[in-house]
Amino acid sequence: MTNYLYQLKINFKRIILRNKAFFLFDMMLPIAFYMLYTKVLTNGLSPQQLKIWNKDYLISMMIYGCVLGSIITTANTLLNDQTSKFNLFISLKPISKTRYYSSLAVIFVTLNLIASITISLVGIFVNKIDLPLYTIFKIILANTIGTIPLIMIGIMVSLVKRPELVNLLTNLIVFPLAIISGLWWPIDMMPKWLQSFGKTLPTYQLSVIDKALLNQNISNSTAFLNITVWFGLLTLLLLILTKLQENKGIIE
Amino acid sequence: MAVVLNVEHLQKSYRKKTILKDINFQINDSSIVALIGANGAGKTTLINTILKLTPKDTGKVQFSVDQWKQITGVMMQDNLVLNRINVEEIINLTRSYFQDPLSYENLIRISGLKEVENTFVSQLSGGQKRRLSFALALAGDPKILFLDEPTVGMDSIARNDFWKTVASLKQNGKSIFITSHYLKELENVADHFLILQNKNIAFDGSIEQLRKISGKVLVEFDSKLSCKTFTSFSSIISINQTNHHFQIITNDANELLSKLNPFLKAISNLSVNQSSLDTLLLNYQEKNND
Repeated sequence: MTNYLYQLKINFKRIILRNKAFFLFDMMLPIAFYMLYTKVLTNGLSPQQLKIWNKDYLISMMIYGCVLGSIITTANTLLNDQTSKFNLFISLKPISKTRYYSSLAVIFVTLNLIASITISLVGIFVNKIDLPLYTIFKIILANTIGTIPLIMIGIMVSLVKRPELVNLLTNLIVFPLAIISGLWWPIDMMPKWLQSFGKTLPTYQLSVIDKALLNQNISNSTAFLNITVWFGLLTLLLLILTKLQENKGIIE
Repeated sequence: MAVVLNVEHLQKSYRKKTILKDINFQINDSSIVALIGANGAGKTTLINTILKLTPKDTGKVQFSVDQWKQITGVMMQDNLVLNRINVEEIINLTRSYFQDPLSYENLIRISGLKEVENTFVSQLSGGQKRRLSFALALAGDPKILFLDEPTVGMDSIARNDFWKTVASLKQNGKSIFITSHYLKELENVADHFLILQNKNIAFDGSIEQLRKISGKVLVEFDSKLSCKTFTSFSSIISINQTNHHFQIITNDANELLSKLNPFLKAISNLSVNQSSLDTLLLNYQEKNND
């Protein structure tokens, strides 16, 4: 247990604490968007509408921060472990892959937790969002757990192993995912056919859960079920892909 | 002597091209085995296959225990260049993977990196990274060490320290499987040599056994005489001429010198040495290719 905690500590330092890219992209980018769309581009909104918009957009940016962390930071961290020969190094040590990946997964979940907390603090202290602490806590928890399927996408992207392809894939996934699921602007501004597709995505489903918690409604069970289905499908796909990689060997 | 690693009929191909064919050898405890061969002969592929980093086609690779990762230490050809983690952290992280690791103090002493223990691994020089890789390979106090081109990038002092440590490891009962292009260094430490040629182990034995096959003595001199003058000498195993410099390998130095005696006035800078591993390997490979 002491050894496992040490492994977690080192992974926390190298992936989060000493990683400037994490602070710049996973936290500063959503915060900048949030400030821009709630402080500057708010023409024509009444004070009441602005109050609702500030809350709704906070949810979107909290999820967006987790999308960046789960897909871009996860994929790039794992890719870096490959290019720096760390995964090769680890594969020669008497440690199971499950233990190695579980220690990383804990860090990636922590990364989403930190991003969610930081962005919500900006909403509370800058935009003076009035929400009970318990509600904020539930939203942060839902975000952290609900973005686990996205971490799986990040892990899958890293399996392509080529840096230029990883960059291309993360950009091709993250930005369309954010736009189509209505994180950047309201989903009903998009054509009907795109809305139908956007509403199936895990990020949209998570925003439904978060908004239900925000409005202190009973949590949306359909959205919860949809995310569980995403979790199941992505777990299966990840298992198949890692098995195929294992058969090829670490070095082809 | 106990067998630590047994390799039988190992075969490996890549994209339908055979790289290794019917590889057989054993490594005993308290021994230093050197794997030598030309560039591209398949030395690194053999190590990767033994360590299950790449799948084998057929054959058997058997360590003395099933939990083979607990008893092996590996120093790969490529350095670990992990970002945002310092020397102390990577040593302790590596130690955390083993049940009974060497102490941090011992490992930092072996690496000689005490003064830079707080420096990020990615900021170390090439030689420092090699020394760190060596210390990390020893972290689990392994029974068998795999060292792939270990001294590349090390300065002469670090190399000297490195070979001293390797020799002391052998004294302590460890087995070392090593590949290096610095044959002179291997010659001084290894007690067993494997020559990888034409996809399989062409030679498996001591340097003395290799000398019996490839020639014990190297006679060198400068002369303006024609090469034909010497080729008829019966005791010659091989002769090599570069401009006016001759290198002759023989098993009988006395006989060769007596035959050279009539030509001494036309010969200068004569030297007689025990044939080096470099010469022996070259000679062995040439013979095998004939």
